[in-house]
Amino acid sequence: MPLKKVIETKKVCRVFKNGEIEVHAVTDVDLLIEEGEFVAIMGASGSGKSTFLNILGCLDKPTSGDYYLDGVHVNNLNKNELADIRNQKIGFIFQSYNLLSRTTAIENVELPLVYDRTGRFSDSKELAKKALEQVGLGDRLYHKTNQLSGGELQRVAIARALVNDPALILSDEATGNLDSKASIDVADLFVELNDKGKTIVMITHEPEIAQFAKRMIYLRDGRVLTDEIIKNRSTKESALRDLELTA
Amino acid sequence: MRQLFKTFKVAFQAIYKNRTRSLLTMLGIIIGVGAVIMTISAGEGATKQVQDQISGLGTNLLMIYTKTEHRAGAHVRMGKPINKKDFEMLQKNSVWISKLSPLVVSVAQAIGPNGYKSIAIYGVSDQYFDILSRDLLTGEYFKEEDVKTARKVCVIGKTIKDELFLDLDPIGRQIRIDKIPFTVVGFLKEEGKGAMGQDQDDIILAPYTTIQNRLSGYRRGYDIIMASANSEDHITDAKIEATELLRETHRILEGEENDFEITTQIELQEITGNITGILTILLGAIASISLLVGGIGIMNIMLVSVTERTREIGTRLAIGARESDILTQFLIEAVTLSLAGGIFGVLLGVIGNHVIYKITNFYIPTALYSILIGFGFAAFVGIAFGYFPARKAAKLNPIDALRYE
Ligand SMILES: Nc1ncnc2c1ncn2[C@@H]1O[C@H](COP(=O)(O)OP(=O)(O)OP(=O)(O)O)[C@@H](O)[C@H]1O
Ligand SMILES: [Mg+2]
Repeated sequence: MPLKKVIETKKVCRVFKNGEIEVHAVTDVDLLIEEGEFVAIMGASGSGKSTFLNILGCLDKPTSGDYYLDGVHVNNLNKNELADIRNQKIGFIFQSYNLLSRTTAIENVELPLVYDRTGRFSDSKELAKKALEQVGLGDRLYHKTNQLSGGELQRVAIARALVNDPALILSDEATGNLDSKASIDVADLFVELNDKGKTIVMITHEPEIAQFAKRMIYLRDGRVLTDEIIKNRSTKESALRDLELTA
Repeated sequence: MRQLFKTFKVAFQAIYKNRTRSLLTMLGIIIGVGAVIMTISAGEGATKQVQDQISGLGTNLLMIYTKTEHRAGAHVRMGKPINKKDFEMLQKNSVWISKLSPLVVSVAQAIGPNGYKSIAIYGVSDQYFDILSRDLLTGEYFKEEDVKTARKVCVIGKTIKDELFLDLDPIGRQIRIDKIPFTVVGFLKEEGKGAMGQDQDDIILAPYTTIQNRLSGYRRGYDIIMASANSEDHITDAKIEATELLRETHRILEGEENDFEITTQIELQEITGNITGILTILLGAIASISLLVGGIGIMNIMLVSVTERTREIGTRLAIGARESDILTQFLIEAVTLSLAGGIFGVLLGVIGNHVIYKITNFYIPTALYSILIGFGFAAFVGIAFGYFPARKAAKLNPIDALRYE
């Protein structure tokens, strides 16, 4: 049985116009990601990683080119359909968390379920609690966002991306604010989720973290420079051992 | 339906989470609405009170007096004073005028058993009471006979009684007015403040003949002739008739100007109508300013929070809220705050009116339309500053809303 195509982009471009100046953030990206893949996207700062991931997450639209998600031609969807896709199929982790201020961790994590129209979740509080426990924040449920550290906020954002049980997880530098050990924990969590069948695309700056994925794409100036299978993947144990050696 | 319920919950949570902002917004609305209600009601109340007062005088009143002109800042009489001849002529010849009374004012020192006071004494005929419909509390009016024989009797108002007699029953007792003893025969019912704010109970009424003969030298002229027309409908007829009769008596040739003036109750009403109209406009202007101030306050709070709220909208959109979810949420928030602010504002206005009444005794009925204007304002502010910016943000790409600065 051929694997399902989760993501398929054809000549996707994203151009930002700032008056006279045009910024070609993403240019002609052709990409196929199948169900169960675990992809790391790397590249220098400003190479278009976030811009591309935003398009994959249906948060932004390509200026040109086609994007198919689960075989659905996203270009043709209206706003409500896009909102529902974001709500049901995608768990997005932002580079800058984007949590609601003055709001508790559990309320933030619950938020995607507030906008769920399928009625497939019965007890949103319980689900939110589980998601937070999964990222190791079981004892911080009722802390407000201003009472949490950067790393904890990051993990709240991860829990929020997991709570609606999405098939696709998109992560924009989820480990950017964590120390090496915590980063390894998050990467290991992704491996675990991937083992359970979730498709994961994560942007990262750190080669050690990218090494947990199955495939690595390298962007330069908005184009795909390399796209290769990772041969000797890291595991939590091997990464921790390496960490000790370098320390 | 379920979604709507969830959105309600989200909206109320948002109001609670941003309670400082919510309270400030509401405060702006409360102050705006309260100020509008109080100022408009005050204008209406003043207008109504003045009108009541004037129509309380009897709508068929005419006042005839010598024409005066402003000369070098003083009133200067232009003709010969209205006098006994005019009075008797009108009494004899007028068809449309049914009652007449001269009015002679004299300022004198009045001394009672328990106090004294400098006051204007009104010399009038027995018909005066009828013309101005002033009722008695105790005692009786002086009669035609008393006027004819210039008897030293008087009728007094409540303020005079309180100051000159304290708790004594004034009937049958004496007041010395410029050393001349007057016997009090009647005590008038309380009337309160007049149209121009004068105390209508601070009054001593005596036969005009007595005043003319005994007080501050003899005077032939009258200050005013008070008259009442047969009926309200004939007040204009009465005025025309009186004008003709007086022109004749005063031998005024055709084309020459009158040397007297006649003002009717209706004209008086129109004049005060103009004055209170100006008052209402003035208060309306004050109300508009308070609305503006309240509105600007709210606008400031809203604009400051737009950035934060746009990010919030971006976050909600990013995790799958539909545009309509956002719009409903912000509409509920705006309506709730406006409604609550509006209700408290109305309460503030009504209570404020009542407090003013308690303090100044100036009764202000809360004008219904001021409540409507107040609510209109509240709704406008809520929608304009709460809903429309949110609508703009909800139409953005999620990523643009998240990046908003
Ligand atoms: N809204 C925008 N308007 C104009 N230019 C933009 C906009 N967003 C991104 N860009 C530009 O597009 C390019 C790619 O940006 P992007 O955020 O995708 O980079 P990135 O690879 O995620 O970088 P980093 O690793 O620093 O997060 C940059 O040159 C950036 O300046
Ligand atoms: Mg980025």
